[in-house]
Amino acid sequence: MQSEVSSRAKNVTRYGCLLLAVSFLAGCKLPGKPKDGPEVPRPEQVLSFDELYAANCSGCHGAHGEKGPAMNLANPEYQALVDDASLRDIIVNGEKGTLMPAFGEKQGGELTDAQVNVLVKGLRAKWGKGDVLSGLNAPTWKATHAGDPAAGKLVYEAACARCHSASGSQPSKGGSILDGSFLAVVNEQMIRTTVIAGRPDLGMPDWRSLKQSGPLTDNEVTDVTAWLMSQKPALPGQPYGSAAPAQPAAAPANKISGKD
Amino acid sequence: MPWYRQVYDWLEHRLQLEGPVMEAMVHPVPRKTASWWYVFGSASFVLLILQVVTGILLALVYAPSAAHAWDSLEVLNHQLPLGWFLRAMHGWGSNFMVAVVLIHMCQVFLFGGHKYPREFTWVLGVCMLLMTLGMAFTGQVLRFDQDAYWGLGIGASIAGRVPFVGGQLVHLMLGGPMINGATLTRFFALHVFVIPGALLAFTGLHLWMVVKLGINEWPMPGRIVRRETYMKEYHDLTHTDGLAFVPLAVWKDLFFSAAILLAVAACAAYFGPFGPKGAPDPTIINTVPKPDFFFLWLYTVLSYLPPNLETPFLLIVPPIAIAFLIAIPFVAGIGEKSWWRRPVAVFAVFFIAVCWGAFTQLGTYTPWSPQMHAWSGAPVPEKLLVNRTPLERQGAVVLQQKQCRNCHELGGMGGQRGPALDDVAGHMTEDQLYRQVLQGGGNMPAYGAALSPAETTALVKFLTTLKVNYAPAASDASRQVADADTGTAATGAR
Repeated sequence: MQSEVSSRAKNVTRYGCLLLAVSFLAGCKLPGKPKDGPEVPRPEQVLSFDELYAANCSGCHGAHGEKGPAMNLANPEYQALVDDASLRDIIVNGEKGTLMPAFGEKQGGELTDAQVNVLVKGLRAKWGKGDVLSGLNAPTWKATHAGDPAAGKLVYEAACARCHSASGSQPSKGGSILDGSFLAVVNEQMIRTTVIAGRPDLGMPDWRSLKQSGPLTDNEVTDVTAWLMSQKPALPGQPYGSAAPAQPAAAPANKISGKD
Repeated sequence: MPWYRQVYDWLEHRLQLEGPVMEAMVHPVPRKTASWWYVFGSASFVLLILQVVTGILLALVYAPSAAHAWDSLEVLNHQLPLGWFLRAMHGWGSNFMVAVVLIHMCQVFLFGGHKYPREFTWVLGVCMLLMTLGMAFTGQVLRFDQDAYWGLGIGASIAGRVPFVGGQLVHLMLGGPMINGATLTRFFALHVFVIPGALLAFTGLHLWMVVKLGINEWPMPGRIVRRETYMKEYHDLTHTDGLAFVPLAVWKDLFFSAAILLAVAACAAYFGPFGPKGAPDPTIINTVPKPDFFFLWLYTVLSYLPPNLETPFLLIVPPIAIAFLIAIPFVAGIGEKSWWRRPVAVFAVFFIAVCWGAFTQLGTYTPWSPQMHAWSGAPVPEKLLVNRTPLERQGAVVLQQKQCRNCHELGGMGGQRGPALDDVAGHMTEDQLYRQVLQGGGNMPAYGAALSPAETTALVKFLTTLKVNYAPAASDASRQVADADTGTAATGAR
């Protein structure tokens, strides 16, 4: 009897100790324990690329830098084409003539210089694959001289028309890029970048295979870009056909802003 | 005689407490009140004690100054061993206390516990509920983060709307015309001395009356409360069909209180403390402040009220509601106690509960509020961009860049202020879309002045692609007639 009681007491002590040890161990990493650092840091203290990209870039450039409506950032050729200073400049000041807004604090955005640097570094680390263009004789990112639109028209027919259609009014696989509204919301540099680096996420090849007879030369890229920009109408975006600009009643946007 | 017995006797000889305490403990209660329905009052009391104890421990570290409060909470969260757990216990304790107090109140009301002779117990209880909510609000302010800062701003602006004395009220509340160094010390004094002191005193009186008047008996349909006979009936009931409060009824109270304490500890350990969220710096505009759980319903109601009804609602409804609660036992102080015979009472409780639940649920996801980062942070769903023309893709960029997304969802992401756009082309024609974008209407601002004609065209072209595949696009029958009349193919060419 005595031994039974004492063995039961021993059991109780043993289980008690075990329970204590388990709860102690669990106490070291209880799920409710706050993570290091404040729960909500000050906005300027956010210096993680993933957080900054998700909050500021993913809306237009896609959650993974591809298949978004705006530039394909996950394209290694794009990353190789644009240098750090220019990338930083685009983020801070925006790209004039396109819909890319300025994100720098001084321009009314919300990103500090340090955060822009994190973005530039992170873009390189995540999607850059080094200098993938070296030795390929790629056209330079910036045009070195003004293009010749007349020559550009021929380049367009040879390189672009098979997907984007020759006249812009026929349906085509890649959709028209001769639409006045489209040309009004992009600029020459954006077209040049897209021609050189392509849009691999959408199936558009880079400058090497646009033309069946061989890669586009730097001059050809400059010319075709110039021709495209020359196709921008004087009053782009008139909703009711190309004949409309002569009739002021068909320009609702102007009418509205005129009323204000 | 052992030494502790001697000490006890010495003390008892002078205090004379044994008689009244024993009397209170073994006083008979109706047999059926030894029920699990009667445990919420004692649980509220135990939670109050928990809040006092954890609150004292927190006050040892907390710095009630605007400059240091947030930092001292960070110290508790990160540097003191189990400091976070202490904060979590106090925070979850407060949530549980509000919840248990409300349940207690509903139970008492549905069981007719507010009727003669317990009217004043009910009135005190209403005051204690208000104090509990006062503790919750002042506690939320002491957790001095962005939510607290802006919540305080809302509180002050509510006070400022009181006619004639609004300005003075704000001054009294904030210690100045705006949130400043004196504000936090005021709320500290309220939260730590004034309200808890009053709450403890009221609790004492409330309990005193429960002991003196006896626990409300289990309501039976047809057992009518009459002022002339009730006291005798209750006395007979407890003496013919009663049992001693200790130990035959009290064990359920003890068991439930222990379970509640364990539940608080489990929530604290699992979910952790509440905040503090961002630093209380009004220059940080990237914040979406929200009140704590128990005030979410108010947040919702104020969001949905038309602006011209806000002030009347804020200043008239609370006094009426409080007056109504206090008036209940005086209006309905006798008669039936059973819920079977009080359909209005039962309906009222459920109606309020459903309204409260719906408003609270809305408050958790604030469909009325734009999501200010959706334009840059909510990707355009990839499937909405498959096989789109360059113009339509630029239209999607316009949609993002002009921040349409902040109010309009695509693929379940974005604001809910306006309708989701996933199927917009299914019910709006291209012309209607142009008109809506340019002129706004139906609670949407006009964007004509903010968009160039090219941007508008791109945006609308993108919007016209947004429809489910199997459904036809919205069409305008008159358009075909007009086209046939003029013989133009212009609209078709676009």
